[in-house]
Amino acid sequence: MPQFDFANVFLPQFAWLLFFFAVLYFGIVMTTLPRLGKTMDKREGRIRSDILAAEAAKAEADRMALDYEAGIARARDDAREALSAAKAKSAQSVEKKLAAANAKTDAAIAAAEADIAKARAAAMTEIEAVAVDAAQAIVTKLTGTSPAATEARAAVKSALAA
Amino acid sequence: MPGPMEQFDIKVLRPIEANGYDLSFTNSSLWMAIALGVVAVFMFVGTMRPQLVPGRWQAAVEYLYDFVRKMVDETVGPEGKRFAPLIFSVFIFVLACNLLGLIPWVGAFTPTSHIAVTLGLAAIVFGIVCIVGFALHGFKFFKLFWPSGSGVVLGAFVFVIEFLSFLSRPFTLAIRLFANMTAGHVLLKVFGTFVVTLGSFQALPYVFGVLPLAVNVALSALEVLIAVVQAYVFALLASLYLNDAINLH
Repeated sequence: MPQFDFANVFLPQFAWLLFFFAVLYFGIVMTTLPRLGKTMDKREGRIRSDILAAEAAKAEADRMALDYEAGIARARDDAREALSAAKAKSAQSVEKKLAAANAKTDAAIAAAEADIAKARAAAMTEIEAVAVDAAQAIVTKLTGTSPAATEARAAVKSALAA
Repeated sequence: MPGPMEQFDIKVLRPIEANGYDLSFTNSSLWMAIALGVVAVFMFVGTMRPQLVPGRWQAAVEYLYDFVRKMVDETVGPEGKRFAPLIFSVFIFVLACNLLGLIPWVGAFTPTSHIAVTLGLAAIVFGIVCIVGFALHGFKFFKLFWPSGSGVVLGAFVFVIEFLSFLSRPFTLAIRLFANMTAGHVLLKVFGTFVVTLGSFQALPYVFGVLPLAVNVALSALEVLIAVVQAYVFALLASLYLNDAINLH
């Protein structure tokens, strides 16, 4: 195997390896990788800060959602209160109107009743007058003497009252 | 027909000598340079204009870097962050060498199939582990080998074993990668040879030639997997050793 021909093979390869490795490490890797590493670190930091920002934004959004829900609940309560107040108010006014209408009809009824009573009284007096005339006529025909109007009226009144 | 070991031959492309040491530019050096070029293009294009929303190239580089960073973070912890570029270098170098060596063309060569290269990489890792260990803990670094809560005799015994196993780490690290790469390439070569020799039979060339070809196709897929997995294992073990040096278990 040529690999074990140490006397001829070892030194030149070893020397060139050292040279090339030094070039590789100092000339190529150390001039490029640290820059790249910095970029990678920067990216990692950027990603981390972006995630933090996103988490903060999510917390803010959650808080806003809670606020919104609370606002909705408050508005709903307000609306319910306003609704019940309006309902009470309208019930009150309806009652008032109803009472007014009642009073009016009551008054109308009372007036009508008074009219009826008056009419009845008028009718009664007329009936009395007719009955007095009729009684005078009947007595005249039976007895031939006409009774006094006052006497006939008193007789009719007592007869009607019985 | 060339033997299955010929693909590992080192060919000197430009002889260089310094102070009597042979530092020739060989085909192994060439393929390390090619791997370096590919990695350089990958890295420079991928990080030309780093953006928060990455493009395709940047996403590809980031994927690999993130993979290594996570691995280091899991094995070492937060202190290991500054060693991620080092582990990344080891990982991508081994990965590029492994994968480029799998491309079947004339002159293809896998540097990581040579123990000189893998041992060199392991020595770099081992050296850094020792430096980091002593720099962070001084002589307390030796506590890594001392079992806590045991007697002196047993402790000394375990200390010797632990120390030897620590010293053997670069060798196991190197041999694992080298053996995997070598075995895979030998196997591919052997079956490739079968395709030619069995396919040139007078009778039924297609039947006998197609069979090893099918095996080679399957083996190639397996070798791609092994190339990636071994690069990962190398980087993972390197970060594990680094964890020992940084956290003392």
